[in-house]
Amino acid sequence: MNRIAAVNQSANGPRPGRAQIAFSGVTLNLGGKAILENISLDVKPGEFLCIIGASGCGKTTALRLAAGLYQPTSGTVAFDGKPMLAPRRDIAIVFQDYGKALLPWRTASGNVSLALEASGMAASQRAARIDELLKKVGLPNHAGKYPAEMSGGMQQRLQIARCLAQEPKALLMDEPFGALDAMTRQGLQDEVLSLVRASDATVVFVTHDLEEAIYLGDRVIGLLPHPGRIGIELKIDLPRPRDQLTTRENPEFLRLRRELFDFIKASEA
Amino acid sequence: MNRSVLYWRAASFAVAAGFVALWQLIADQRLVSPVFLPGPDRAWASLVRGFASGDLLDKLLGTLEHMAYGWFVASIAGIALGAMIGSSRTMRSYVAPSLEFLRPLPVSAVIPVAIAMFGLTQSMALFVIAFGAIWPMLLATIHGFAAVEPRLYEVARSLHMSRLAIIFKIALPSASPDILAGMRLSVTVALILSVVCEILAGLDGLGHWVLLSARSFRSADLFAGVILLGVIGYLTALAMSMVERRLLKWRSSGH
Repeated sequence: MNRIAAVNQSANGPRPGRAQIAFSGVTLNLGGKAILENISLDVKPGEFLCIIGASGCGKTTALRLAAGLYQPTSGTVAFDGKPMLAPRRDIAIVFQDYGKALLPWRTASGNVSLALEASGMAASQRAARIDELLKKVGLPNHAGKYPAEMSGGMQQRLQIARCLAQEPKALLMDEPFGALDAMTRQGLQDEVLSLVRASDATVVFVTHDLEEAIYLGDRVIGLLPHPGRIGIELKIDLPRPRDQLTTRENPEFLRLRRELFDFIKASEA
Repeated sequence: MNRSVLYWRAASFAVAAGFVALWQLIADQRLVSPVFLPGPDRAWASLVRGFASGDLLDKLLGTLEHMAYGWFVASIAGIALGAMIGSSRTMRSYVAPSLEFLRPLPVSAVIPVAIAMFGLTQSMALFVIAFGAIWPMLLATIHGFAAVEPRLYEVARSLHMSRLAIIFKIALPSASPDILAGMRLSVTVALILSVVCEILAGLDGLGHWVLLSARSFRSADLFAGVILLGVIGYLTALAMSMVERRLLKWRSSGH
């Protein structure tokens, strides 16, 4: 494993071997309408996969299938080789609407604590773990604040901290930065990259921002709409660690962006 | 407390004092016969006398007791039933029509039924007060439980939280603003019905005191009772809003 990591020039990145998240022939109908059709997809452990697509193409639905929140109409979704029949505690989901996914009546530390309580951690051990997690996401001085007292970026960090408290093998992120301003968004992109590098988790990241997908991912998948199916798959070989300026100026980055842009245009036509 | 809050508080006290002064004036000028309208001075003297002899305190405690028991029973039942109905869509669709039938039923129409069932007893009062006070609480709790953010249930699922943990850590706190609002409304209903039951069934309490005073033209005593009822209403509402503010601190803390 170490040898491969060295070759990849990144601390983690996709590891060879069995897929951690495996979609095979997944079709999902909701209310008699086909949302996703025949999706087959392997995500390797440690991989950072981004899913893009025009709105309404089923990216979020694909993520919810991976989370076990939906069951496919046909085909299977497997995690570590076992079919996903329900959500798992070691798969964490970061929702886009952080305001709805946090408990407004609990402080920042209370929100992180929710995940620790659910995992059965003894009360005496929680405080130290909460401090550590809040420090990790850059909120060490906001432990006593309620979500309503925090900015959008801080609330999303808090949600990420709660997800990290689950010690997830896989982190599923549904347009997590979609509602944030550009500067906050770039800062959080880099933070997520370093958090992921430190945790070894597999990431599936849904976004409508093409540059964000290329910037973050080891691989980008583009979905075609009505019904959602895989239309393009790009391997991203940009050097890591990524950098907001140099990576985005890299000719390969620009080429990939062009390719995805054309794909989206064609898919909307 | 800042300057403008102080200013408004002073202004509202001035208005209240103005009303009392007007009342005194009307009484002094005998615009209304003193048999029916005592001045605030006589009402106050009667209050002091009543408390000194212990009579009024007994009545006050009687009313508070009726009110508290009825309200307590209504709260427990209202929140438990409301949680059950509110958290299940099927329950809502089964039970809602019956509730819609029972809710607008005037409580005064239920009193004769309660008297027939329990006689002129404390149990009758408890039943009537609880029946009347349960509605604001029940409906608010149903609404609160039905309106829990679905996203939070998804968070709970992905954390594998137990059913009990979901109720106590997510649904109940989420519904708490509605529940507390319902409790605040129903405490007033409980006070009104306590007085009604005391009047109808002759139970020991301010309602009975007010009735007897009126029948024997002791207008000062009558007003003392009415004032005391007003004070109960005011103080319970004040206490509820203080509890609300304390428990819902997280809500007002936004920018």
